[in-house]
Amino acid sequence: MTQPAAGGTIVLGKGVAPVPGAPPLVYRDVALLERPGGRRFSLVVEEGAVIAVVGEEHSGVGWIGRLALGLVPPPSGSVEAFGVPIARLPYSELLVFRRRLGYLPLGDGLLQNLSLKDNVALPLRFATDHRLREVEDRVAQLIEDFRLRAIAALRPAQATEEDRRRAAMARAVALRPKIVVLERPFDGLSNRAATALLDKASRDEDGTRRAVLLTTRELAPSLRAMVTGVVRVAEGGVVEDPK
Amino acid sequence: MLGGLARFVSRTARAATRLTRAGRWVMLRVLINQIRFTALQAMGLVAFLAAILAFLVISQSIHQLGRFGAVNNLGTIMVVAVIRELGPLLTALIVVSRSGTAIAAEMATNRVMGEVTALEAMGIDPYIYLVLPRMLGAIISVATLMVVFDAVALASGYVAAATSGMSYNRFMVIVLRTLSAKDVWLTLAKGIFFGSAVATFCSYHGLAVKAGPTEIPQAVTRGVVSSIVAIFILSALFVAVAT
Repeated sequence: MTQPAAGGTIVLGKGVAPVPGAPPLVYRDVALLERPGGRRFSLVVEEGAVIAVVGEEHSGVGWIGRLALGLVPPPSGSVEAFGVPIARLPYSELLVFRRRLGYLPLGDGLLQNLSLKDNVALPLRFATDHRLREVEDRVAQLIEDFRLRAIAALRPAQATEEDRRRAAMARAVALRPKIVVLERPFDGLSNRAATALLDKASRDEDGTRRAVLLTTRELAPSLRAMVTGVVRVAEGGVVEDPK
Repeated sequence: MLGGLARFVSRTARAATRLTRAGRWVMLRVLINQIRFTALQAMGLVAFLAAILAFLVISQSIHQLGRFGAVNNLGTIMVVAVIRELGPLLTALIVVSRSGTAIAAEMATNRVMGEVTALEAMGIDPYIYLVLPRMLGAIISVATLMVVFDAVALASGYVAAATSGMSYNRFMVIVLRTLSAKDVWLTLAKGIFFGSAVATFCSYHGLAVKAGPTEIPQAVTRGVVSSIVAIFILSALFVAVAT
């Protein structure tokens, strides 16, 4: 099974297709903290929505991104990506299904022994059957869009935090996912940089709105204006409904 | 440890069966880098040590054998001691000390920096991207370096013999009388087994790191020590099986 992409196809596995019309991400009664009788977390991220989950260090918010990608199974309840209970997929199918979701992990998750450009190119080289030229064109486009041209040859350790975050974001959207999951993406960034990053995350190059689920400790007013919903999490459960 | 190691080997083997065309190209890039570092950059050191070792062994042997009129047994020492046993052993130890340490440290850093999780989140099997190319790279490199070692050792052995007055023809006749096709196969087999051992133990201990950066040197030590022990055990098994 394949998914159309610019100039080629994303190499996907057999058997697991998204459920038509299903929202990009659904959490149902998930226990974020392993406490008997503790709160449960439920959330639906609709297509094109930008949801911020705000919570302190030990509120359970740190698990939300990993649960979305099926990197950890939910201890109770379920997490569905495009209607598919992602963590229950067999490993090989789980890997290919994850390519439908963009992910910016806490920190940035960039590979230290690759240049920023090669980091951006990695998912395209690995998960698509694009020709070399097509991959290079797409990478060049991302490098330009995310203002990485002057620093593309640098290793992550040689770049600033803001540059690294932009490179990691470019990598996250390289396969044109319909949703991106961002773990504390604005830590250490200025308001201007954070706003630009969220803007890039929430829109594809052709202007199509992309769903975003981001976790953060605090949400600056300038960012609050850009999100469609804010969920506050404490002790593993929602304490404030989306606006 | 044995259970974990068996799971590691089984996961690596399963990953090899899941290689897509695009994945093969990405793996090839990593593999070429690995061979450049493990084989190409180590050739000078291997050649230097082979030359010194063979010169010392043959110089001493000619002197001692000459006292008993047994210079014709020089071929046995050259082939059995230097080419069949010491060459592969020393080559593998050089690879452990140069590349085994690097592999273990790199894998451990990949784990600690969240790069392994980031790869999985992108739908890239870390066993395909990180382990397989290092495994193949180590096998190809160790086998290649063993051939280089043998060639340089033969040349150096001749220089040592020549300084004691032995002609080139006599040296070659003595050596070739002992050298057989089995030695070629043994070199190849040892290259495969020793290379696999270095990559397996160092990758396994590197990826097993969980707590943080302080575990990295411990993982390197465990990887190197396990590799050395495995190489000696394998060497003993080769002697038991092949002689």
